[in-house]
Amino acid sequence: MEPVLEFKNVSKHYPQPSTGVLKALDDVSFSIQTGRTLAITGRSGSGKSTLLHLAAGIDVPSAGTVSFVGRDLGELSDRDRTLIRRDGVGLVFQFFYLLPHLTVWENVSLPAWIASDAGMEERGRDLLERVGLTAHASQEASKLSGGEMQRVAICRALLRKPRLLLADEPTGNLDDGNSEIVMDLLMKLVDEEEGTLLYVTHSDEQAAQADERLALHSGKLGPA
Amino acid sequence: MIRYFFRALRAQLHGGLSLFALSLFGVSIGVAAVVSIQIINLNALSAFSGSMRAVSGGADVTIVGKMPSLSEDTYPRVLATPGVEAAWPLFRLDVVAEDLDFYLEVIGVDFFTPIDLPWEGASVDLSAALGEPGWVAVTPTLAREKGWELGDRLEVSVGTRKAELVIGAFSDFQKATPLASTRLAVMDIAQAQSLFGARGQLHQIDVKIFEDVDQGDVIAELERSLGTQVLVLTPEQREQQASDLLSAFRLNLTALSFISLFVGGFLVFSSTQASLVRRRTEFGLLRSLGATHRQVMGLLVGDVLLLGLLGVAVGMPLGYLAAEANVDRVSATVTNLYLLDAINQLEVPAWFFLLAAAVGLFSAGLGALMPALELGRKDTRALLAAFSLHERVGARAPRAFLLGVGLMFLGGILYWLVGDRWRPAGFIQAFLLIAAVPLVTPLLVQGATGLLRVRSFGLAYGMKGLGKQLQTTSVAIAALAVAVSMVVGVTTMVASFRETLAIWIEATVQADVYVSTPAWRRSRRRAVLDASVIEVLARHPAVEQVDRLRQFFAYTNGRRFSFAGVDARAPGEKTRFALLEGEMLGAELGGIMVGEPLARKEHLSVGDDLVIDGPKGPVALPIKGIYYDYSSELGSAFTHLETMAKHFGDGPVNSVALYLEQGVDSEHVVDELKTSLADVPLTIRSNRRIREQALLVFDQTFAITRLLRYMSLLIAVTGVALTLIVLARERSAELALYRALGATRLQIFRVFLGKGLGMALIGIVLGSLAGVVFAFILIYVVNRAFFGWTIFVHWPIGLLVQQSLVILGASVLASLYPARVASRVPATELRREDL
Ligand SMILES: Nc1ncnc2c1ncn2[C@@H]1O[C@H](COP(=O)(O)OP(=O)(O)OP(=O)(O)O)[C@@H](O)[C@H]1O
Ligand SMILES: [Mg+2]
Repeated sequence: MEPVLEFKNVSKHYPQPSTGVLKALDDVSFSIQTGRTLAITGRSGSGKSTLLHLAAGIDVPSAGTVSFVGRDLGELSDRDRTLIRRDGVGLVFQFFYLLPHLTVWENVSLPAWIASDAGMEERGRDLLERVGLTAHASQEASKLSGGEMQRVAICRALLRKPRLLLADEPTGNLDDGNSEIVMDLLMKLVDEEEGTLLYVTHSDEQAAQADERLALHSGKLGPA
Repeated sequence: MIRYFFRALRAQLHGGLSLFALSLFGVSIGVAAVVSIQIINLNALSAFSGSMRAVSGGADVTIVGKMPSLSEDTYPRVLATPGVEAAWPLFRLDVVAEDLDFYLEVIGVDFFTPIDLPWEGASVDLSAALGEPGWVAVTPTLAREKGWELGDRLEVSVGTRKAELVIGAFSDFQKATPLASTRLAVMDIAQAQSLFGARGQLHQIDVKIFEDVDQGDVIAELERSLGTQVLVLTPEQREQQASDLLSAFRLNLTALSFISLFVGGFLVFSSTQASLVRRRTEFGLLRSLGATHRQVMGLLVGDVLLLGLLGVAVGMPLGYLAAEANVDRVSATVTNLYLLDAINQLEVPAWFFLLAAAVGLFSAGLGALMPALELGRKDTRALLAAFSLHERVGARAPRAFLLGVGLMFLGGILYWLVGDRWRPAGFIQAFLLIAAVPLVTPLLVQGATGLLRVRSFGLAYGMKGLGKQLQTTSVAIAALAVAVSMVVGVTTMVASFRETLAIWIEATVQADVYVSTPAWRRSRRRAVLDASVIEVLARHPAVEQVDRLRQFFAYTNGRRFSFAGVDARAPGEKTRFALLEGEMLGAELGGIMVGEPLARKEHLSVGDDLVIDGPKGPVALPIKGIYYDYSSELGSAFTHLETMAKHFGDGPVNSVALYLEQGVDSEHVVDELKTSLADVPLTIRSNRRIREQALLVFDQTFAITRLLRYMSLLIAVTGVALTLIVLARERSAELALYRALGATRLQIFRVFLGKGLGMALIGIVLGSLAGVVFAFILIYVVNRAFFGWTIFVHWPIGLLVQQSLVILGASVLASLYPARVASRVPATELRREDL
């Protein structure tokens, strides 16, 4: 079966004023099948976020190919990559990135608005209920705690049933108790929805919850 | 720290060039608006003062008559007054030469009196000046302009009387007083008197007083011995008189120009706040590195100072150019409406530049004050985070709204208390209104955007976002609303005035043909229609009736007004005047009709007497009615010709109105009359022409306000662009998030257009509401208080809608560039922590 996401010999170079180029990713290859979860660990600066950006089509590789369900993202225009991201990818960030001035409900609905996708209200309510935030729906997002914010962000990411969910250190900004709650919720929801999840983390414990694990070391991908 | 300032400045300019350029643009236009109006105002009187100094420079006081000419015994009495060192009589008359638009200010002088004339070249051959009929000295500037040479002959006229002048010499008044009118012409007094049929008449006596006596005493003595028939004026008083004439006109222009500056101040506010928000990390860091509060403040003050200085540096020349481009219109107003000298050239004194610089810096400083005060608070970094600013503005919105409503209420109370009786009231009310607009804006923006139901990520989403960034958006919206309110207010006032005037002209100008002389506009009483000419007019077969008009300036209670004697129409015929109070003069003699401006200024009503200074003492005439009058802000009154003759002596007629037989083409009659009276200097106009010309003069007078309206709008629209650029920069993380969530560039572009559109819509709606109030203030308070006339409100709906669409379009255009900037923010920008 065709993998949801496939990296083939992907490198990402950033030009550097003093040392020439910085190899944020160096010849990275891996793939992930529908319904699977993959955790990538690595130190700070090892290239985790860079990898996720490439996976989401936010950025394009310097060499190699990134394919989303068989389509080479590097070959596509910015607009087409954006549409693939809109319709096929969900993103969860370390810093939540909720819009503070929007309500919880509006934050969750944002992807539907962007896609002009009517009829997502039912789904939004359902998700909020499953993360236990129905009562907060009309509250401004800035008034929430960190753990609540990340739960909202997960709802936002899952709203349009993306084929691939990408999470960049989803608990990186939470205390231990909240980290556990959020991680469990994420795994549970992905499982229920039969989604595909790629997440990066510092924590070995969290990485262990995935079906597969890989590790990044200075831009090189290897077994954990 | 200084070194840091320049380093930081470079970094800042690099990072926010468009921001800096836009705020600079706003400040410059604001300064330009004020500078241009002030230059024009400053020079509106310069020609008058210049000519006065050129002619009467050596005199300590000048004596002029309240009657059109001084009585014959005045001159010997002046000479006999103790303390008078010397006195010399002048004969003054404005004559029309060649084409109708060109006049000469003829001054008849006695060449043997100690008057200093700036002859060009060697001294002048006095025997020619006295002996050669029509000998006149003109200014070399005018001669050059008209291509005249010595010995050239020149046809001139006063009323229907013609005379021939011979250019005998050049007198260069401009050399001594550069601003003096180039139209001054000097001739021998006796020659002038006989040439223009005014033997023995004097119009002015210039007096020199001994140095060692008290000037005030001599003036008092002169006033006592000459009686109430004359005015004894110092040069300062004469200048003051002319300046009073123009004061309302000038004050209104000044007030309007300051609105532009006010709107420009908003721009400074926006950009200062934006740069503060942007630099809050930097300031926080500097503070933590040990920079004092003062030093950080110094950085900010430095920025604002630079903005102000550059704004002045650009705005001043811009203002000068705008003044130059508009001086002709204002000059036309000054000559047509106020009968003062035309503005020949603009002169800007050095102190003016200092003043303009101070005004520019002050307004920039004022705009930066509030954001700078924020900086003084404890936790700069947190306080200036965009979101917390928004929250605070939001939290204060209801209170600000109440305060704004309170200010408007205050304005209402002021109107209720003093109405139009106290002149400054109008300006205070306008100021309260303009201060209230920014205060009510945040809550209204919140309310309006809160009503929006967003279902997709597009225009509406962008508009709704305006309510989520109040700290930035409400400032620009308020600025736009203030500018729009001024545009709506002034447009409505001007349109209402024009409509009122048109209806009034329609009612008043009812004769078919009007006949006066080219000199009429400037010389009034002395522009006389010869009786033989009136006979010719009356004999024309189509003419059914001839109404005569005799008019001169008279004084009541020290106020100059235009006083007319007319043929009263037969009773029962339709009246020519729209009456405010009382009734029209009937067949019964002795009564007088007073125009609204004069009645308001002198607090007169029907039944009161109008007391006019007459040749044999005061004349009291009972007021029969008060009529709407828009002819001159000086005020006017009229009575029967017979009543006028009884109290002021017989006198010639200045113009006539002809009523034609039914069905006769008046243009045709005008042509016929022109042919049959071809060699008489006459202005013969049909009813239609006279109406057209009246409106033309009106349009000319208000043309300058159009410039001011557009200037403030330009600034406000710049504010929209500036705000959107700030949003695109400040909120780049938010934009990156949208991109990460799958929004296309085009969508972001549309969201930003939505923001621009939303700001424009709210600004226009709010501004229009305030503009309605503004229009009422202008019409019912300012115009009544300053000019004394009633304007009937007329809403120029079509024009207002058209203007709104233009503003909307301009705002959308102004959003294009910021929208493009916003749409180019890549999703990778999401690396930033803050959202
Ligand atoms: N736009 C960029 N330009 C230049 N260098 C970049 C850019 N983005 C990332 N880098 C560099 O690439 C390397 C990998 O960055 P990346 O953000 O992927 O690391 P990370 O593993 O996510 O680190 P962290 O755990 O701190 O988030 C880093 O050295 C970073 O400085
Ligand atoms: Mg990272």
